[in-house]
Amino acid sequence: MNKDKIFKLAKGFRGRAKNCIRIARERVEKALQYSYRDRRTKKRDMRSLWIERINAGTRSHGVNYGNFMHGLMKENIQLNRKVLSELSMHEPYSFKALVDVSRNAFPGNKKVVLPPTKVGLSIVV
Amino acid sequence: KALAGLRRINLEGLRWRVFDAKGEVLGRLASQIAMVVQGKDKPTYAPYREDGDMCIVLNAKEVCVTGRKMTDKFYRWHTGQDGYVGHLKERSLKDQMAKDPTEVIRKAVLRMLPRNKLRDDRDRKLRIFPSSEHPFGDRPLEPFVMPPRKVREMRPRARRALIRAQKKAEQQLQGTGHTRKGKKREVQIEESDG
Repeated sequence: MNKDKIFKLAKGFRGRAKNCIRIARERVEKALQYSYRDRRTKKRDMRSLWIERINAGTRSHGVNYGNFMHGLMKENIQLNRKVLSELSMHEPYSFKALVDVSRNAFPGNKKVVLPPTKVGLSIVV
Repeated sequence: KALAGLRRINLEGLRWRVFDAKGEVLGRLASQIAMVVQGKDKPTYAPYREDGDMCIVLNAKEVCVTGRKMTDKFYRWHTGQDGYVGHLKERSLKDQMAKDPTEVIRKAVLRMLPRNKLRDDRDRKLRIFPSSEHPFGDRPLEPFVMPPRKVREMRPRARRALIRAQKKAEQQLQGTGHTRKGKKREVQIEESDG
């Protein structure tokens, strides 16, 4: 009964860990521990990935992530980072509008723009 | 010819960015290149797939370093097998530039990339050339604008040394008439005249 459950969880493991009960039991226990831990770290990793994407998107408009967020907080825009990263990927014009709003609220960057800004927006599409 | 080949592996929705290394500081340039090669300046960045732009670096032999790194920066590596002590070889920056200036930038960028399985693919996207000639003239190339750099003010001792060197250079340009040897000769001429 327990063996069947272990083997069911051990599908896709490498070598003897999917076939031999002694090894499979160890590996499955470890796998469950990792998945417990990673359900919590997944939330952290996703947030940092959103922040990286927002950073990339705003830097192509000359503003870095910190100043961008500060400007948004000042304007009391409560969009979260998940939505902002989706906007920066798929809705470039709305994102640019947000960047401009933030820049008005909190100026603080020298503007460094790539010469053809059309290319900068077209890569996202 | 190895520069034009080895390109079948990556996909071609990417831009070709051109970096001009002339007069750029080595590490600062390398960190910008590493950001672009990883694809971290695109909002569609994903850590599991390789999406960076092709980077072409020109004028690699004109890259600069500050301080005394030209003579004092050493590239060290271990030769010999099985972990025996000894066999440490080193080579200074000057010699490396004389031998192969592209390796300097390549090492700098490679050591700034994360050590994972994508590092080799990113290495393949980096093409470095010592001068301005490159075989990629038919591509749609895009120059990369370096962000403006705040140069720190020189420390007082270095500034005084620089001023002294400038004054010495000016004196040499103005001719040898002002040196002591010149004065002696003038005095002798006057004495002989008088």
